Amino acid sequence: MDSLQENLAGEYPLVAVVDDDESVRESLPDLLREFGFATHCFSSAEEFLTSDSLVQTGCLILDIAMPGMTGFDLQRELKLRGHSIPIIFISAHKDEVVRRRAFQQGAVEFLFKPFSDTALLQALNTALRVR
Amino acid sequence: MDGQLDTRLRVNTLRGGEKVAEPAESKKDVPLESSIPGTVPLESLLLTEELCRRPSRPPQYEKENRALVALASALADSPRTILQTLAETILEVTQSDSSGVSLLTPDGKRFYWPALAGRWTPHIGGGTPRDFGPCGDVLDRNMALLMRHWEWRYTYFSPISPPVEEGLLLPFYVEGKAVGTIWVVMHETHRKFDAEDKRLLTGLGKFASTAYQTLASIDELRLQISEREKAEVAVRELANGLETQVRVRTQELERSTRDLLDTNKELGREIAERKRAEQELRRSEAFLTEGQRLSRVGSFSWRVETGEITWSEELYRIFELNRDGRVTLELIGSRVHPEDIPLLNDMIARARGTGSDFEYEHRLLMPNHSVKYLHLVGHGRRDRHGQLVYIGAAQDVTEHRLSEETLGKARAELAHMARITSLGALTASIAHEVNQPLSGIVTNASTCLRMLTLDPPNVDGARETARRTIRDGNRASDVITRLRALFSKKHTVAEQVDLNDATREVIALSLSELQRNRVILRCELADDLPLVTGDRVQLQQVILNFLRNGSDAMNSVHDRPRELLIRTEQDKGDRALLSVKDAGIGFDPQSMDKLFQAFYTTKNDGMGIGLSVSRSIIEQHGGRLWATLNDGPGATFAFSVPGAANT
Repeated sequence: MDSLQENLAGEYPLVAVVDDDESVRESLPDLLREFGFATHCFSSAEEFLTSDSLVQTGCLILDIAMPGMTGFDLQRELKLRGHSIPIIFISAHKDEVVRRRAFQQGAVEFLFKPFSDTALLQALNTALRVR
Repeated sequence: MDGQLDTRLRVNTLRGGEKVAEPAESKKDVPLESSIPGTVPLESLLLTEELCRRPSRPPQYEKENRALVALASALADSPRTILQTLAETILEVTQSDSSGVSLLTPDGKRFYWPALAGRWTPHIGGGTPRDFGPCGDVLDRNMALLMRHWEWRYTYFSPISPPVEEGLLLPFYVEGKAVGTIWVVMHETHRKFDAEDKRLLTGLGKFASTAYQTLASIDELRLQISEREKAEVAVRELANGLETQVRVRTQELERSTRDLLDTNKELGREIAERKRAEQELRRSEAFLTEGQRLSRVGSFSWRVETGEITWSEELYRIFELNRDGRVTLELIGSRVHPEDIPLLNDMIARARGTGSDFEYEHRLLMPNHSVKYLHLVGHGRRDRHGQLVYIGAAQDVTEHRLSEETLGKARAELAHMARITSLGALTASIAHEVNQPLSGIVTNASTCLRMLTLDPPNVDGARETARRTIRDGNRASDVITRLRALFSKKHTVAEQVDLNDATREVIALSLSELQRNRVILRCELADDLPLVTGDRVQLQQVILNFLRNGSDAMNSVHDRPRELLIRTEQDKGDRALLSVKDAGIGFDPQSMDKLFQAFYTTKNDGMGIGLSVSRSIIEQHGGRLWATLNDGPGATFAFSVPGAANT
């Protein structure tokens, strides 16, 4: 399975994680690396927007509720700037209304925290296939 | 003299005193022609029912007690001026502009004013007709009346300046018969009378009755003493005459003997007079006792060096002890609640040490296991021999305390309900708080498993992820602990609370909710903040309420940052002050009063319990809570509570 991502993308795709929660930023990259992805973490949407990784990012794992720019704000901003990065939203707030809205605005997948490794892997596969 | 005294006679003798002002000739009542019932009916002036509707000031039992003690000692020291002292006391405790005592004249046709205080003082000695005036109305209706601008009806008041904005009058009685009124008047609109003023006046009215009877008794006593002195002079003159007669006219011995017999008769009469005087003294003591029984105030004296303690009858009744035994500190100790013995010891030690005034409240445990609350005020002074003597009063405040306890329980129930209500609103952020660390745990554990199933296993990586799993587990556990503390406790617990810590915990719990509402929270916590004594959870309820209100008030704000500033600072007199300033829609200053009423809300989904419960929590902590509009947009809610050193 580890080679699947390589085959689909032709290279090791960069998965960016944007979440203000530190335990997510610490734990998720290790798992993603175990899956075989290169990762880069950001604690805010603003930080991600100003980083070099923006153009290389193959998939974005994005938290909804953050101080300052929220996940939705970032999604809109990326669309405005013409970036079509597939987005997997993650949220600790179990709200179906928010989830539906995310899909309407073009999210690939929406995971409620805590999520399993297989759910994440499936979401990543979907996202990279979209790409 | 038998028990049925003629009230008129008493008033007569009362008016015969030196300092009680008589109706002065120059200040006669206005002629009756001007007091013909005019166009303004009495009903249009009466506001009595307003008393119950107006927000009442909290009862100030300490102040009232001190006033009663001062009055009791004034009655003992200078009874002649007691009515004036009473008027001044009424003025002070009710904070009114003018106050006074009105007494019916012996013929029952008029009221005159023996004592006035405040702005109407120059009118001492004036008066009103019995059948057409505010005092008469009070007697006719036999109840307390609140009246505005009575000069509109009783036009003879017009020359009396300043005019009445509103006045509160109460009848007082002697042996079931109304003999006068006590009253207070406001000349301006800055303060209105409320139910607390009526309560205060009712207490003082009982005292007025006691004072009136005491004065009357003293006057009669004085009359009798002067009678006795006259009799003694007569005896002396007779005796002188007798000597002369014995020396000069032995032949008139027989006649002289008859005179002697007369003298004996005179002496017999004198003894009868004296007996009557003693009886009167006992009566006046009885009046005082009755006054004490009514107000449940007992008085005492305590000679510290000799340990000699004297109690009034009421104190024996309060302690449920027989009058036979000698009162000692040990005897008192046997009735004091075991948990309050340290208080008693502290009081005794302080009294012996400093001789300063004291004020205590402690409980008594009765043989039938019932508990009484006793409020004690003592005033220490040195007698002629330099010995320390305490004179004081003790009031049985059990009823007040019990009703306060009931109130406290109701308040706790309400606070608990408010807590549960906010639980619903908080559920979302609770889930968020718990899911964050759970997410870390699941991800770390997944990674850990994957690392261990590699060939060869990545043991170092697995160890690191396992360590993070544990740390996130602890984080989740902390969140649960904070929530348990916030929602489980029901009864008030007094402990030393660091408001800064308490604030940080509340912020930790509500941060994600605030962030979801795009609120930028700034925090300025003072380092030198004094500790406070109280219920940590209840205080946190108030802080949480402030934060949620502030956040909600900014929901509709889109044109400026939704800034919330929470600060703590040291307030005057070693108090701790906490404020939350928002940039929201503020509130209507007109509805400021309503802001703190239960079930008043400006929010669509609010219950309107938060602020009223918050205020009662803060008041229970001896503090106060208020709201102000900012110079810029929004409002600031704040409370200030005494530091632990003060409570």
